[in-house]
Amino acid sequence: MSTRRRGLLASMGLAAALALTISGCAGSGGVDAPDSSGLGDIPADTEGTVRILMESVPDTDIVVDLVASFNETYPGIEVEIETLAFDQMRDKLIASFQSSEPAYDLIVVDNPWMDDFVDAGFLEPLDARIDSTTDYQPEDFFQPLVDITEVEGVRYGVPFYNYALGYLYRTDLYDEAGMAVPNTLDELVANVQQLTTSDRAGIAMQPQRGYKIFEEWANWLFAAGGSIYDETGNPTLDTPEAAAALDAYIEAFTTAAPANSSNWAFDEAFRSVSSGQSASMISYNWNLPGLNDPDGASGELAGSFALAPMPGGKQVLGSWSWAIPANSAASDAAWAFAAWITSPAVDVERVVAGGAAIRESTLSNPTVLESGFGEDYYAAIIAILSDAAPLSQGLGGEEMIQAVGTELSEAVAGTKTVEEALADAQAAVERIQR
Amino acid sequence: MTSTMSFRWAMLAPVLTITGVAVGFPLGYALYLSLTDYRLTSRGAPNFIGLENYLFVLTDPRMWNAFSNTLAYVIVAVALQTVLGLTIALALQKQKWIRDLTRAMLLAPMFITPIAVGLTFRFLLNDQLGAIPAALRSIGISIDFFGPGNALMTLALIDVWQWTPFMVLLLLAGLESIPRQPIEAAKVDGASAWYTFRRVVLPLLTPVLTVAVLLRSLDALKVFEYVYATTRGGPGIETETIQYFTYQTGIQFFRLGEASAVAFVLLAIVMTLIVILFRRLQRSAPR
Amino acid sequence: MTRRTNLWSVARALLLWVAALTVTLPLLWVALASFKSPAQLNDPGLVLFAPNLDNWARVLEAGVLDAAGRSAMVATITVAISVVAGSMGAYAISAYKTGGSATRFGILAAQVLPPAVLVFPFLTMAYALRLDTTYIPVIFAHLSFVLPVITWFLIGFFDAVPRSLEEQARVDGFSRFAAFRMVVLPQVLPGIGAAAIFGFTLSWNDMFYGLILAPTQETILPVAIAAFNTFRGVELGAMSAAIIIAVVPVVIASFFIQRRLVQGISGGAVKF
Repeated sequence: MSTRRRGLLASMGLAAALALTISGCAGSGGVDAPDSSGLGDIPADTEGTVRILMESVPDTDIVVDLVASFNETYPGIEVEIETLAFDQMRDKLIASFQSSEPAYDLIVVDNPWMDDFVDAGFLEPLDARIDSTTDYQPEDFFQPLVDITEVEGVRYGVPFYNYALGYLYRTDLYDEAGMAVPNTLDELVANVQQLTTSDRAGIAMQPQRGYKIFEEWANWLFAAGGSIYDETGNPTLDTPEAAAALDAYIEAFTTAAPANSSNWAFDEAFRSVSSGQSASMISYNWNLPGLNDPDGASGELAGSFALAPMPGGKQVLGSWSWAIPANSAASDAAWAFAAWITSPAVDVERVVAGGAAIRESTLSNPTVLESGFGEDYYAAIIAILSDAAPLSQGLGGEEMIQAVGTELSEAVAGTKTVEEALADAQAAVERIQR
Repeated sequence: MTSTMSFRWAMLAPVLTITGVAVGFPLGYALYLSLTDYRLTSRGAPNFIGLENYLFVLTDPRMWNAFSNTLAYVIVAVALQTVLGLTIALALQKQKWIRDLTRAMLLAPMFITPIAVGLTFRFLLNDQLGAIPAALRSIGISIDFFGPGNALMTLALIDVWQWTPFMVLLLLAGLESIPRQPIEAAKVDGASAWYTFRRVVLPLLTPVLTVAVLLRSLDALKVFEYVYATTRGGPGIETETIQYFTYQTGIQFFRLGEASAVAFVLLAIVMTLIVILFRRLQRSAPR
Repeated sequence: MTRRTNLWSVARALLLWVAALTVTLPLLWVALASFKSPAQLNDPGLVLFAPNLDNWARVLEAGVLDAAGRSAMVATITVAISVVAGSMGAYAISAYKTGGSATRFGILAAQVLPPAVLVFPFLTMAYALRLDTTYIPVIFAHLSFVLPVITWFLIGFFDAVPRSLEEQARVDGFSRFAAFRMVVLPQVLPGIGAAAIFGFTLSWNDMFYGLILAPTQETILPVAIAAFNTFRGVELGAMSAAIIIAVVPVVIASFFIQRRLVQGISGGAVKF
């Protein structure tokens, strides 16, 4: 027996030794910057291949459709777009950074990752490129979107599309009940309770643990006059406003949300609203065209939906940004594409095709107003994007969001009181910031 | 004697070589990472920090919560699968009519990637969109399948749906490899069907049954996709399994060193359990 | 006696019917969903409707068939290597206890460790050996859990084969390997078939290793299916069509494999 055990130990030791000799590889990935001018205007005769990793969403499909038009200006640049679902894309992206060989030349970055990626040195700073690109008009981007791309005063990305939230509701049901869009959190709770009938919920909510519940509840927090961080960046989740917001959230969930929906996420809520089983939801602004599309999930209900900012005017902002990996093999060509797709003229085409807004001028462009999805919609988006804040700031964004989302879920499930959950959330964020 | 020795080792060589490379290397490497502060976002070589990760992980209540969730899940899922799998395998063995087709059909759930199974059930069990709650409502039952207190068991039942076929597959093959002779002999002696099963079939099936339970348990231990596709570990931390916990720590939160330590704690516990169980089995049933 | 036999066969038929329905009803729901429009998907009770082929067009356009081909290739290579190496190893462990429990339990280690932890070592290895543009890293990663499982799977089957059989063959003049190959192996053929089917499903279903280790732009099937779970909602219709594509060929293949195997045993191998 003892010889066997010794054999096991010996083989494990061998494996460990093997690992140690190769351990130099860990973390050796990263910066290996190939030729890069670092400048803005890229000559039209530039040659190269730009490999892009993107998330499989309609906004990406719109970008894919615009590639042919890009090649009219830059015939020598080949654009290869790989699309994956959100989490897969993220895992693959992280993995690609571990290689010293460039895997992608241009990427899209979600806002919670921005600080971590910059801190790790994964991204190329873009200030010089942005400022030296002719007619780019970077000041035209919605400021909250630009803020997300900025880490310690340096811009590492340009906006790709926003996913700010808003209140989506059925106008016919609001008219029928003789109600107006809520202006306070109390009105929101009262309205959705009044809209609740035996076969229809007043509001489809998204209390799934983690990202979803935090993303939804933070809108309630803002509506209650609270905030996620104070001016100096410290978390403010154990405030009376936060408690009021969570109480209201739980009250609405127990009295006006669909039965047995404690694990619902975006998908369930959207289907519930589009099939007429819920009267409203808090979700991404760009859901409105989808809800009002007669060929979409709403069927006969299409046309009866509208979008409003949250009560109090402030909402949660999410944003994707174009960024160039530090190990990009074709950073000039990558910038050529990123600058082209976000340029004022192309942005109009993108938004008309259904892309989510990034530029203020685009939303007042006559072509967009005429052939887009209606002036009211764009007015609501301008209002939403003028006062919106992301869920996380600084390093560890993803972990912070998950930690708060877990505590909120405990409160909704009843395993913690509102006070306990918020105190624990506050403590968790403080710990992650340390 | 020597020729026997060299023959044995020659037979074992392919497995040892392949696992040595495909398992030994990543295992050793992960062991090394577990002793460092390696983060996926750190540049340069990681720092060696000894057992710090282990001390942190072993005192982390979230890790132990994930561990006990996983254990409850494995026990419920595998126990149900074993009973159902054995019953169905016995029934199938006697079946004559369209037997190959029935067998192939019953295996179908195994061939769907678990993430798709999770997503399918997330909608099938949805109170407004799913067929199952709609059917239950017509007889007056209303359940929040993924709600507090229910979610973990719902996930275990999804596992039962997808992996009972594995038990059927393995046990049916086991039943078919059992020599006919002892069963015939028992019949000739006038033994009842139950007695034959209990005293003749079951003992002969034990090696296969043991392996089936072991393999299924190890696989169920890796439950990740269902959690990911449905509850994301909620409500609260009720369905946070060890794999989901490791994935979040190591990849979503970048702390691969710490996640590796979790993995080796898990490995140590599971290996100890397996060895103890097998010693017990060998002692209680000498062959 | 006959009444009890009848009761038992009724119960047996009933059990099989319930099992068959439990398996097929969710699959039927998936099959129906693959023909539904987005609005129709919101109605779970809808069974009769004009089928819509948009989902199928969408899935074919998304390259799900190519992805299935890649997955089939990876799974077939993985299983072929595992069955050959695994049956030899399982025999050595079962018949001679070679390697002792260190080998026996040691090879299960990768079965316990989370892929989230093992994947980066595999990736480092792929980069270091410049294999990251091939399927070799994926196949290796799959071997790390398929081979141990197949080996263990078969140990139980070899344990059930009487040693006398082999001793008889040796007396008859067979070499050790020939006795294994010609006499012992046929006895465990059902086990090998079942092990191969199971090993195939493990490789066929794996998403995580395939995602990280497969060459860029060459998506494998589970990743292609998961891609329908988007940030803007699950494309249920398209995903359902992809599930059907993933299931039907494998069910058909397993039908023929099982029939072969059952014929294999009843056709002469049983000689007790």
